[in-house]
Amino acid sequence: MSRERIERELEVLRAGGQKVDYLVGARDAIVYHRLPTDGAALGLPRETDVVVPVPSGYPAAMIDLAGLPVGSPLLCRVRGGTNSQGLIELDGRQWQLASYHPHNGGGGPPWDQTRHGFHTYIDHLIAWLHRLN
Amino acid sequence: MATSTELAASRRPLIDGKPSGSLSVCVRVAEPEASQLLSHLFVRYPSKEWATFLRLGWRATSDSLLLTIAEIDGPLDGDLNSAVSHVAIDEKYSLRAALRAESHSLAVGIAHSHPENCKPLASRIDDEMDSYYSAYFGQFAPHRPYVSLIASRIDGRLRLTGRVFWEASWHHVSHFVVQTDAHGIIVERPADAPVGAWRERSARLRSAFGDEAERRLRSATVGVLGAGGTGSAAIEVLARAGVGRLIVVDPDHLDESNLERVHGSVPADAREQTPKALLAKRHIEAIDPECRVQAITGALPQVDVVNALTQADVAIGCTDQQHGRVALSDMAVRYLLPAIDCGVGLEGKSGVVRGQIVQLVRFHPADACVLCRDMLNPQQLARELMSDEERHARRTAAQAARSRGENANPYWQDIPQLNTVGYLTTVAGALAAAYVIGWLTGRFDAPFSRLQLNLVAREFDVTNNEQQARKACVCRRVRGWADQAIADAMISAPRHWPSPTSYSTN
Repeated sequence: MSRERIERELEVLRAGGQKVDYLVGARDAIVYHRLPTDGAALGLPRETDVVVPVPSGYPAAMIDLAGLPVGSPLLCRVRGGTNSQGLIELDGRQWQLASYHPHNGGGGPPWDQTRHGFHTYIDHLIAWLHRLN
Repeated sequence: MATSTELAASRRPLIDGKPSGSLSVCVRVAEPEASQLLSHLFVRYPSKEWATFLRLGWRATSDSLLLTIAEIDGPLDGDLNSAVSHVAIDEKYSLRAALRAESHSLAVGIAHSHPENCKPLASRIDDEMDSYYSAYFGQFAPHRPYVSLIASRIDGRLRLTGRVFWEASWHHVSHFVVQTDAHGIIVERPADAPVGAWRERSARLRSAFGDEAERRLRSATVGVLGAGGTGSAAIEVLARAGVGRLIVVDPDHLDESNLERVHGSVPADAREQTPKALLAKRHIEAIDPECRVQAITGALPQVDVVNALTQADVAIGCTDQQHGRVALSDMAVRYLLPAIDCGVGLEGKSGVVRGQIVQLVRFHPADACVLCRDMLNPQQLARELMSDEERHARRTAAQAARSRGENANPYWQDIPQLNTVGYLTTVAGALAAAYVIGWLTGRFDAPFSRLQLNLVAREFDVTNNEQQARKACVCRRVRGWADQAIADAMISAPRHWPSPTSYSTN
């Protein structure tokens, strides 16, 4: 199952000090905790949690989308944030998915499962949180 | 010459006073490890023995154990005593294999040869060796199988036996699959399937390929992934050729538009929505009532489907779905299941058919995998694997993007279905089955890595794309690692897929 692969990728992040959780729900997802943002100058949070759904069939299917807690003031400032791709509930928290597709024409390289994973997706998330409108 | 049945019957009781288990145990080896193994074992042939340690991946179910040779840890100078004709292993060689086992997760095993025309049956000395090593390696590599194999050549034919110590019991190896470049796919089972009443029907095949070819086909198990146009044609050829067992996997049922292509289908199947796998089973049993058939409504890489296909000696991919190709390639790499994938496409413009394409891709375990070959469209793959709800949401988002004047591709891309017709799928399926027959009989190999031909082009416009594996690709690291490389699987089964259902004869 992909669980073993994802856990290995998350271990890479944890080894670097990043807190991440694998949450099981109607739609499994990874939560990256306290990622830095570029929001200070705009009076926005300096950090935020981000959720990323685990795609069906992973790693054959590419990682796509990113979500912020419902009500986050960052939602209207991140790329694709006003274009909701749905709500998901995980561990008692509600998240709104933004239209962010780094591996699908959104600025990143085409998906390559031999190089990319949740451990590399964090780079796209940090870039996303540093290009606020 | 000792037959496999004789070998099985003359096996001595398992050793140590430990209980003997009843697991069905299969050992697989493929190139290049197969040639490495045999060259080590027969380096002092015909009169003297030799040995090598092995590393093996494995997959255990409640009633079976698959072992896949992933690495040959051949002896260095002085590791074996060359002054004696039997195998005498120096302690440093054993210790090196044991210490290595602490740094990997694979099972440890040993293979040794017996002299030419000496049956590969365990001697008292072999018993003592296995008793010692099962305990010894158990300290360094606990909770892993210990594997002991014996090889010899009897009347020029490779013969193999083996036993495994696993979960406190000894188990005989019941089945070997050896994929070699020189001799095709050699399948060895304790009791070869009787050819019996089949002989008259297979007279032409025997006159072409010989009695041995017929025996090998009757002993073989072929997995067929997809029972539509190409799959049903491959199945028809294999059943008529006398393949002893077929495992047919398809998640879909027959509908009206399939009747033009699917061999064995009738209009009532479309009305009753007969599962394609079940329809294939019915058709095979009509062709050859002695052929054992397992029909599964499901798809790779669902656990039950993987378990079933690991029992196959070779597989044919007959699905037009990209995720099926990824999963088949993954099976070839990690579980050493040799496979051939086939596909078709029909191209035309302004009422003129310009392309009637047949594609065959060989997936031997050492071949470039589907990722190395760049055969995938990430968008199509993701779309195939989505749930219906997700597809609906994506389509809705795409419509909204278009209405805003934005690019809708990140949400959804319509990918037109490839056109096809029955004669084209029949050609592709029959060709794939032909090469499988060549592998199983050892009479011919597929002379290509990835072949495309166009039925309406001059000289068929044949192209053979010999793609090399990428050095950094996962397929180079985990060949033969089976479940021990589960974190390197190329695909996982979506949770929203329905559970597989299996239908078997006896």
